[in-house]
Amino acid sequence: MKLVKQLAVTACAAAMFATAAHADSIKVGSAGGVTGPIAELVATIVKGRDLARDQINAEGGLLKGDKLEMVIGDSACDPKAAVDAVGKLVNVEQVVGIVGPSCSGATNASVQAVTIPAGVAVLSDSATAPSVTELKDNDTVFRVAPSDAYQGLAIAQLVNKAGIKKVAMTYSNDDYNAGIAKVFEEEFKKMGGEVTANQAHEPNKASYRSELQTLTAGGPEAIAIFAYYGSSGITIIKNSLENGLFGKFFAADGMFDQSVIDQIGADNLKGNIQITQASSDTADASYQAFAEAFKATGADPAAPYAAHGYDATFMMALAIEKAGAADRAKIKDALRAISDGKGEVVRPGEWAKAKKLIADGKDINYEGASGSADFDENGDVSGVFAVNVVGDDGKWAKELLK
Amino acid sequence: MDPVLYGYMLYGISLLTVGGMYAILTLGLNVQWGFTGLFNAGIAGFFGIGAYTAAILTTSPHTSHVGGFQMPYVVAAIAAMLVAGIIAFLVGKVCLKLRSDYLAIATIGIAEIFRLIVNNETWATNGPRGISQIPRPFEGLPEPLNQFAFLGVVLVTLAGVYWLMEIARKSPWGRVMTAIRDNETSAKAAGKNVETFRMEGFVIGCMIMALAGALMAHYLKFVNPQTTDPLLATFIVFVMLVIGGSANNKGAILGAFLVWTLWSASEIVAPRLLEAIGMADAGIRSAYVRIFLIGLLLQIFLQKNPQGLLPETRPSSPGKNEP
Repeated sequence: MKLVKQLAVTACAAAMFATAAHADSIKVGSAGGVTGPIAELVATIVKGRDLARDQINAEGGLLKGDKLEMVIGDSACDPKAAVDAVGKLVNVEQVVGIVGPSCSGATNASVQAVTIPAGVAVLSDSATAPSVTELKDNDTVFRVAPSDAYQGLAIAQLVNKAGIKKVAMTYSNDDYNAGIAKVFEEEFKKMGGEVTANQAHEPNKASYRSELQTLTAGGPEAIAIFAYYGSSGITIIKNSLENGLFGKFFAADGMFDQSVIDQIGADNLKGNIQITQASSDTADASYQAFAEAFKATGADPAAPYAAHGYDATFMMALAIEKAGAADRAKIKDALRAISDGKGEVVRPGEWAKAKKLIADGKDINYEGASGSADFDENGDVSGVFAVNVVGDDGKWAKELLK
Repeated sequence: MDPVLYGYMLYGISLLTVGGMYAILTLGLNVQWGFTGLFNAGIAGFFGIGAYTAAILTTSPHTSHVGGFQMPYVVAAIAAMLVAGIIAFLVGKVCLKLRSDYLAIATIGIAEIFRLIVNNETWATNGPRGISQIPRPFEGLPEPLNQFAFLGVVLVTLAGVYWLMEIARKSPWGRVMTAIRDNETSAKAAGKNVETFRMEGFVIGCMIMALAGALMAHYLKFVNPQTTDPLLATFIVFVMLVIGGSANNKGAILGAFLVWTLWSASEIVAPRLLEAIGMADAGIRSAYVRIFLIGLLLQIFLQKNPQGLLPETRPSSPGKNEP
């Protein structure tokens, strides 16, 4: 009991000390699955967020020189943990806005249970579930990661463009792949295509022959695979080719890896596989500005959602600057104004320029490292997608879809 | 009101709300582990059955999962308990003959089966995408009244469960339970039907867990298979019960509130401690240091208080005061 009391006293003391020491800083929540199943990814995403923070603080900070402070909240990819972590960010840390959380489920629960009632803007950098779009959010929930709906649509367009009318599909039964598969099915049917068979599969099986055998019913011309390459995707392609069941493959970004070509052979795949990928336009000036700065910190700019993490943080800061005060309601409204496609273009790293434009009362339009980042009426972005095919050198060759 | 103070008040409410739901869960485990000595390591499964049943019965129609029944909360909560009770009965028929550690293995399996079912039966549960937009009692009220009102719902439910469990503990039924736990053979020799009593304890415990799950679904407004992740739905509940005092209902409640507060508040303290000692990347590292510190604290505590904060007290038996 004594120990508990001591801890409680230390906690209160630490909390008071912290508020006193950072009186001239503006806090933004940095929520993410720091522990849990995607901890590895989140570490790099947080680096992206921190890069934006460092650049902003180096170029004059927010408003009247206030420092931007990112407060980590561990959403652990678990809705229970996320509601608790985000609740603390909002109520105890008194953040003015939140970047993250990372997993879709964690985002979904925490915005409904905490931030929508509290009126705090949330800008997620990696939640991609379409169900986030449907929430009645009083215009407080935004994201710079495109909804899976858009990747499903991108694949449907690719299949359609290839002149294929009948397609079989299989998806790994997880949150991410199931979501893309569902949208693909809807969109492809809308285009007049036929899905001859659709089957979920459990990952990490030694063979998928029987599943594939079932999928060949109805005479499909190709198969669309929504899976992770390591846990089932490579095996599915191997089984298909060995048994002559399928020869043409379409896949979502969970299948994108060099090991797919290495293990199956470039000759077997060339001209027969297309993989979409949420991408960054690497030729774009915005991406290059981010990539250069991110590389200088020793991190990989191509890491999943790192560019999105950077953009989300930069945009939250722009919104604070535009709002002119650390005021939750004004910041939520300002988020739309800083990236609506109108006004002078601001790119990653151009904080001083943006600050001056806002001070002069000019409109700005942030063009992010991850894409144009213009919000639609639901607070979603359409994202940038690329298609990967096997190149002459036996490596993936990427082409942007526009 | 000062916004900082207001924020702390809201955080306090959330601590009590979540703590209260864990207290109900812990009372459920106390019936099984504390009184009857049943090692149920599948708490997350019955918690999840409650959460999903309540979610499906109370949500508005949606294309992604079955439902649209929009039933009253009380009906959904009762249904959640009934469903869990029936499943617990079937599971108990098969598993309760197993001794302690084997029962633990079997119940872990049950929880995992449940998780796989909700993950795969997409037509009913929307699979890994989860069920969203679950209504919460009193959410239409203005803040912070809605928060107080939901806290009230949780605390009243907790009080009701506690009251019933205290009656059960002091009754002959409760004494048979502890007798079975402490010496099954002599309980049998005294003519007690051990199998039936064990089944009763198991089913009642699981129904209480489902009640906590139903409340949690309304609180989170969202459930997905990750909600039944064992770390925060099975293991932490055992910790709460053991810290608070196994076989003591007050201890179960105290342990739940205390451990949850510790778990939650440590996230506020840990990064500040690390920052104070000048560690780089304090934010990310503290998430791990925090888990380590909690583990360490529990170790120290349990070494010093193996009985928990409030050790078991036996109800006085009728013949006790005679010479």
